[in-house]
Amino acid sequence: MTEKDLIIIGGGPAGLSAARTALEAGQKVLIVDRNHELGGQLIKQTHKFFGSEKQYAKTRGITIARKLIARLEPFKANLEVALDTTVLGIYKDYVVTTLKGETYGKYRAKAIIVATGASEKVLAFENNDLPGIYGAGAVQTLMNLYGVLPGKEVVMIGSGNIGLIVSYQLMQAGVTVKAVIEAQPRIGGYKVHASKLRRLGVPIMTSTTIKKAFGNDRLEKIQIVGLDESWKEIPGTEQELYADTLCVSVGLAPMHQLLSMAEIRMRCVNELGGIVPEITVDLETSMANVFVCGDVVGVEEASSAMVEGSLAGLEAAAKLGQVHPDYLNRKIEYLNQLESLRCGPFGKKTLCGLERIKVNRNA
Amino acid sequence: MRLKKHPILDVPERKEIRFVYDGNEVSGYEGDTIASALHALGHRVLSRSIKENRARGFYCAIGNCGSCHMIVNDVPNVKTCITRLEPGMIVKSQKGLGRIV
Repeated sequence: MTEKDLIIIGGGPAGLSAARTALEAGQKVLIVDRNHELGGQLIKQTHKFFGSEKQYAKTRGITIARKLIARLEPFKANLEVALDTTVLGIYKDYVVTTLKGETYGKYRAKAIIVATGASEKVLAFENNDLPGIYGAGAVQTLMNLYGVLPGKEVVMIGSGNIGLIVSYQLMQAGVTVKAVIEAQPRIGGYKVHASKLRRLGVPIMTSTTIKKAFGNDRLEKIQIVGLDESWKEIPGTEQELYADTLCVSVGLAPMHQLLSMAEIRMRCVNELGGIVPEITVDLETSMANVFVCGDVVGVEEASSAMVEGSLAGLEAAAKLGQVHPDYLNRKIEYLNQLESLRCGPFGKKTLCGLERIKVNRNA
Repeated sequence: MRLKKHPILDVPERKEIRFVYDGNEVSGYEGDTIASALHALGHRVLSRSIKENRARGFYCAIGNCGSCHMIVNDVPNVKTCITRLEPGMIVKSQKGLGRIV
C-alpha cells in the first residue's frame, strides 16, 4: 500500500484543471488515468470552443488539452501521473485500487477528486447492436485520433451539439452524412453548428426517430419514422435509408460507478444525465475529502468541467491544509465563471438539476 | 478505410505493424488500437454475443462499454478499442464469455 495525499481520478479537462489549482496551492498530486495520454475526450475534439477567453474559447479541443497539460509543467516536482492505469475501486477507508496491464496497485489517499467524466448513452430499437452502429463520440475517436473512417455513408441520430459537431467533422473527413435525425420537434444543439451542416446540404429531420436497423452482421440500412406532437409514430411515414454507419448521439450519462461503490450518497437526476453524487457548494461528496468535478457530477460542456475542476482542486487542497495563497479570490472567481457559463437556456436545466443534489455541509 | 488528408489534422506517415487476425497475417499502423486497425481493414465484427451469438462491434471506442472484447495473445475479454496494437499480436474473434487459460 502506497500512501498518497491527493489522488485525482481522470485526466480530462476537469481532472487536469483540478491538478493545476491543487499544485499551485502546494499540494502533492497523483493523477490516475486509464488512457494512454492525458486530456480525456479533448484529444479528439478538432472544433473550436465557445464561451469566454478564460475557458479557452475559440481554441480547438486538441489544443486545449495540450495547454492544460503544459500548465502542470512548472509543478512537476509535486506531480505524479499514472497512465494506462484503471482505477478499479474506491473504498470507505480511502483505499484506491488500480490495474495497469497485469499489475495491481493499492493506494491510500488523504483526499480524492473523482473526475471520471461520462459515457455515451444507447438508444433502444430493433437490431441496435449491429456492428456499424456506434456512439457519435466513438466515431470521432476513430476518425480524429486514429485516422480511420467509420464508413462511406452515415446517419446521425440526435441533433445535440455532439451530433451536429461530429456530423460536420465526418463531412470534413470526406464521409457522407445522409441525414441527422432528431426526435424532438426542434434541433437540440447550437444554431451555428446546425447552420454549418445545412450549408453543406445535410438534412436535419426533426420529429423523426429510428424504428429499426437492418443488416446481416453489419448495418446495411435503417428505417425511420415521423413522430407527432405526443411523440407517437405516424403510420405511413416510414422511410428507409441506406447507410453503412449509424451514429447514436442521444446524450451522456455520468460515470458514477466508483462513487456508487464507495456508497457515497447518490441521486438520479435527469437534468444532469443520470446518477450523480450529492455535493456541497465546495463539490465535496457525502464521503468527507472525496470531491467531484466535470461530467461525473452533471453532464455539461468541457468549459464548465474545467472551472469545476479548478474549484475542486482548490477546495481539496485547502481541506488538506494547503490553502491557496489567493484562495478566496479564486473561489469567488470560479463560482462567478460557473454562474455565467450556466446563464443560457442549457444552463437553466443544469442549475435545476444541481439544485437537487446540493446539500449543506452540516445537514 | 484510412483518412488521407484532413483540413485540420495532420495525417503523418506511420510505421506499419504486422499482426495476426483469426489466423491471417494483416497490418495496421503505429498508434492504432487493435479495433481501429481492424476497422480500417474492413472488419467490423469483433466478437459474438454470449446468449444469441449475435455479431458485436465496438460501440464507445473509449473502453466503457465492453462491446469490443477479443482474445489477444490467448487472453480473453481484452478491450480492443483501447489496447494499442503491437507487432506480432495474435488477435482472435471471441465467441461468448471467453476462457482464462
